[in-house]
Amino acid sequence: MSDTANTVNISQPQGRAPLAQVSTFSAFKATLKRDLLIALKRRNDLLNPLMFFLIVVSLFPLGVSSDPQELTRIAAGAVWVSALLASMLSLDNLFRADYEDGSLEQLLLSPQPLYFMVLAKNISHWLISGLPVVLLSPLLAYMLYLPADAYWTLVLTLLLGTPVLSLFGAIGVALTVGLGSRGLILAVIVLPLTVPVLIIGAKAVVDASLGVPLGMHYALLGALLALSLSLAPLASAAALKISVN
Amino acid sequence: MWQWFFRLGSPKWFYEMSGKWLPWLLVLMTVLMSVGILWALLFVPQDYQQGDTIRIMYVHVPVASISLACFPLMAVAGVITLVWKMKLADMVAKCAAPIGAWFTAVALATGAIWGQPIWGTWWAWDARLTSMLIQFFLLIGVIALRSAIESPDAAAKACALLAIVGAINVPIIKYSVEWWNTLHQPSSDFSMDENSAFGPEIWVPLVIMIFAVYIFFVISLILSTRNEILQRERRSQWVVDIVAKEQV
Repeated sequence: MSDTANTVNISQPQGRAPLAQVSTFSAFKATLKRDLLIALKRRNDLLNPLMFFLIVVSLFPLGVSSDPQELTRIAAGAVWVSALLASMLSLDNLFRADYEDGSLEQLLLSPQPLYFMVLAKNISHWLISGLPVVLLSPLLAYMLYLPADAYWTLVLTLLLGTPVLSLFGAIGVALTVGLGSRGLILAVIVLPLTVPVLIIGAKAVVDASLGVPLGMHYALLGALLALSLSLAPLASAAALKISVN
Repeated sequence: MWQWFFRLGSPKWFYEMSGKWLPWLLVLMTVLMSVGILWALLFVPQDYQQGDTIRIMYVHVPVASISLACFPLMAVAGVITLVWKMKLADMVAKCAAPIGAWFTAVALATGAIWGQPIWGTWWAWDARLTSMLIQFFLLIGVIALRSAIESPDAAAKACALLAIVGAINVPIIKYSVEWWNTLHQPSSDFSMDENSAFGPEIWVPLVIMIFAVYIFFVISLILSTRNEILQRERRSQWVVDIVAKEQV
């Protein structure tokens, strides 16, 4: 019920203004607000990526060793890989419900540039599934005996890196949204694309604990973020048009 | 001015023309490959460090260089598919993906066979090997997407888009892997740049082999595309005529 109410809200904001007169920015805000509202009402979608992240990270000590020295060595990589997998798992929510109830088609038909609509959905998705993972990461890093000097680097690199994962992932979701079984094919398509983020992010955390200067790592992650912010929503928008037709 | 371009896009025209090219390409490939292989295996002097093992270079390097060309090819075909909606470009892209994946796999396998005696290990997380492996995953992704989407039209556009995204990503992946690798471990003492120091008795057969394998790739692509054309155009009259003629 809330879905339909919000859809109507998008197409007719501020009374009954003609759709074409709605500014791009207010359409952007409306989409963002709608997605956040829907997500807040579905608590499970909020909680599941976090639980998944927690469980995967705690599998590493069980699978590798409980020895603090060994865990310290793998901590950066383990947290980063788990964050990557958690963001992959939560991606499925990004367009699916909208595809199923038809509001995605409304979005495609709207006169506002699709780039901003997709960007709004991406941002709300990251706020809901990416940001909590980033905030939880220091706790998990502590459980894996990550050296204390690397905590801030871990949070900062995840803060820069997880939006890139969401943006890349959105392309894969948009391409596969109409398919019956998406889970695995989504991972096969998207995971190879995320390799640079993983490499730079995990490497930065390792280097932080070694005392290596990190300017270049942040610059590279920032460059990836800028690139994917400007190009990935375009690709997602094009992919959505292909999938929905 | 664009007429030749659109004529090239007609499956029928391509089918007829490629039928005429194929025998020539086959002859050229047979000659080049036999000359190249025999030269490489019998007449190239042993390497002072690697001995006879160096000869696998004459398969590995051509195959690897062509597998690198595959993603740009698919991306260009993808742009043509999306912009001009040319069916032939999509057929080529569809056929190039599995062939490219095979070439990548062969490059990885010959690399492993070469690496065993030289590095003492079948696999190392060397920059070149790793980025090759990830390119292999990307190609598998494109193939998987193609097989997952039922409508050929949607599959064509979706794979075109994915190929373009992948092609933008390939250099980023390559440089990030190189960057990761140089910081992780000293880069291996093996480098293809040493080629320039080699004498002509080493690189001339290599160049011959590169051309031969390139033509082999083109022939595989043409044969595979011809099959795809026949399958997709099976309802058009000229295909029916061809099939009727072949059966007699």
